[in-house]
Amino acid sequence: MTWLIWRQHRTEVCVLGLLVGMFGIALLVLGTQAHDLFPGGPARCAGEAGINEDCAASFRRLDEEYGYVENLLAGFYLVPVVIGAFLGAPLLARELEDGTWQLAWTQAVPRMRWLAAKLAALAGVTVTLTGMFTAVLTWFRQPFDAWEGRFQYDAFDLEGLVPVAYALFAFGVATAAGAILRRSLPAFGVAFGAFLAARMPVALLARPAYATPLTSMEPVGVGGSKDQAGHRPVPSFADWIIEHGYADATGRRLSWTEYYELEGAANRAGTNFNQFLHARGIQQFGVYHPADRFWTFQLIEAALFVAVAAVLIGVVVWRVRRRMV
Amino acid sequence: MTATEFALRTDGVGKRYRKGWALRDCTLALPAGGVIALVGPNGAGKTTLLRLVVGLLAPSTGTVEVLGHDVTASTPQTLSRVGFLAQDHPLYKRFTVAEMLRFGRACNLRFDQGLAERRLAKLGIPLDRRAGTLSGGQQAQVALALALAKRPDLLVLDEPVASLDPLARHEFLQVLMGAVAEGGVTVLFSSHVVHELERVCDHLVVLNHGRVTLTGDIDTLLAEHRLLVGPRTATDLDRAGAVVEAVHSDRHTTLLVRDGAIPAAPGWQAQPVALEDLVLAYLRRPSEPSAAVTSGAPA
Repeated sequence: MTWLIWRQHRTEVCVLGLLVGMFGIALLVLGTQAHDLFPGGPARCAGEAGINEDCAASFRRLDEEYGYVENLLAGFYLVPVVIGAFLGAPLLARELEDGTWQLAWTQAVPRMRWLAAKLAALAGVTVTLTGMFTAVLTWFRQPFDAWEGRFQYDAFDLEGLVPVAYALFAFGVATAAGAILRRSLPAFGVAFGAFLAARMPVALLARPAYATPLTSMEPVGVGGSKDQAGHRPVPSFADWIIEHGYADATGRRLSWTEYYELEGAANRAGTNFNQFLHARGIQQFGVYHPADRFWTFQLIEAALFVAVAAVLIGVVVWRVRRRMV
Repeated sequence: MTATEFALRTDGVGKRYRKGWALRDCTLALPAGGVIALVGPNGAGKTTLLRLVVGLLAPSTGTVEVLGHDVTASTPQTLSRVGFLAQDHPLYKRFTVAEMLRFGRACNLRFDQGLAERRLAKLGIPLDRRAGTLSGGQQAQVALALALAKRPDLLVLDEPVASLDPLARHEFLQVLMGAVAEGGVTVLFSSHVVHELERVCDHLVVLNHGRVTLTGDIDTLLAEHRLLVGPRTATDLDRAGAVVEAVHSDRHTTLLVRDGAIPAAPGWQAQPVALEDLVLAYLRRPSEPSAAVTSGAPA
């Protein structure tokens, strides 16, 4: 079976391996240069950026010289989906398209063993390739993450566990769609579409709700929000700020219209706006997830996508066992 | 007769797809040894029946027993005893012929690589060609060599020659019959062409509208049926159900009868019937349940 699986899928595996390899080498080269900007490590530098002028300069250079790579990589959250769908779509669909399922399942290898071997091998390749891709990308993004946090869409969706889960999701959808549609290309399309359709509500609606966000509430300082001696601004840059704004002394949140009315009133009165706000007991609030929830959120989201993949693979196994294909 | 002397036994087998029943109440007992033809028009359920026999499909009702084993178990042992050649003889198009043989070796308990190579060499099919670049006849031969290399006890072929040109058809049947002559293998194949069956087959199953309408040993079937030609008559032809078909011309009536229903009336002549006419007569009959005619299998 090992030889057969390799012979049947070597084209996909080689093409994907080559692409991931080329991508990895390019990122390693660029990433080494970017990392060299931070001799003491980007994490330490990020902590000192307020005080250490060299560090601040390093981050400016990082943004100027490698910011375009970061922007480019934002679209690469689809790469795991391509890997998973590309390997999953032909698993059954190609056999059904060409009629070779009748050849494959009338040899002495029972169909369930055939299916188990194929699923294990191709899911394994999916995880390996996506894992390599994600590892390089996560490493490359270290300096950016130190500065920007890991909760933004261009970080959270590309790092850690979720890319592997996305890939397995696409693999599951593509395999199941291939079993039902009996065609590779439409199955690939279905997997792609399903991921895009799932990702939007997950990222926008589900992800912020994985845990109850924290709320910070602080009176506006006399010198403005950045002039709070002894405090570091809460929430910090690495936290995931879901909502922020102003509230009155009782804690009632102000709409932005009310805020601009206050600003207008301050201008008419000719006073400093911050002092104006401070005098009225206006507070700044932030609703956020602290940065240390990154791995919890990664685990929850990965579990979500892997669970869907498992259900779909279950459907495939059930159909093949019931001899419905 | 013990169970294993039957190559195939089905009991009340039916298969329902979403569109409806493709096969109903199929009860067969086909002897091991020899060549069995499964005949019927397109859409009669032949492919469904054959896929049930090799375990590619599961029956909706009834049981299928191949070589004495329930086929839905699909153990490597039962799978390795049955060879299957699907319609249009699918192969992995991008595999070379040698790789197709390696596939057979990798996926089977017993696989006679030398036998397959000898067969292909005799036909002049190079091992390093990709399967997809071979002619239809050559692809069929590769698929057949692959199935025969398993040294199966039962070889099932779905319309094996339907897509072949006359020459390739002849060569294919020659190889197939050669394998039968070497002994040990029971061949079950489907066809919608009745022509030439008589020459190659021992046993016949006629399938129409998802039901078995006739089954039996060909010699027995031919001996049992007679064509009666006489003056045109409008008498009730349904006596004892012995009349399979009645054809009226201006002056004559031709009856196909079974079981020695010899006419009492004068002026009638009995003639033997050709297999093709026999099959066509059964295919033309309006489908009605429990109309299957079974002829005694050689006991």
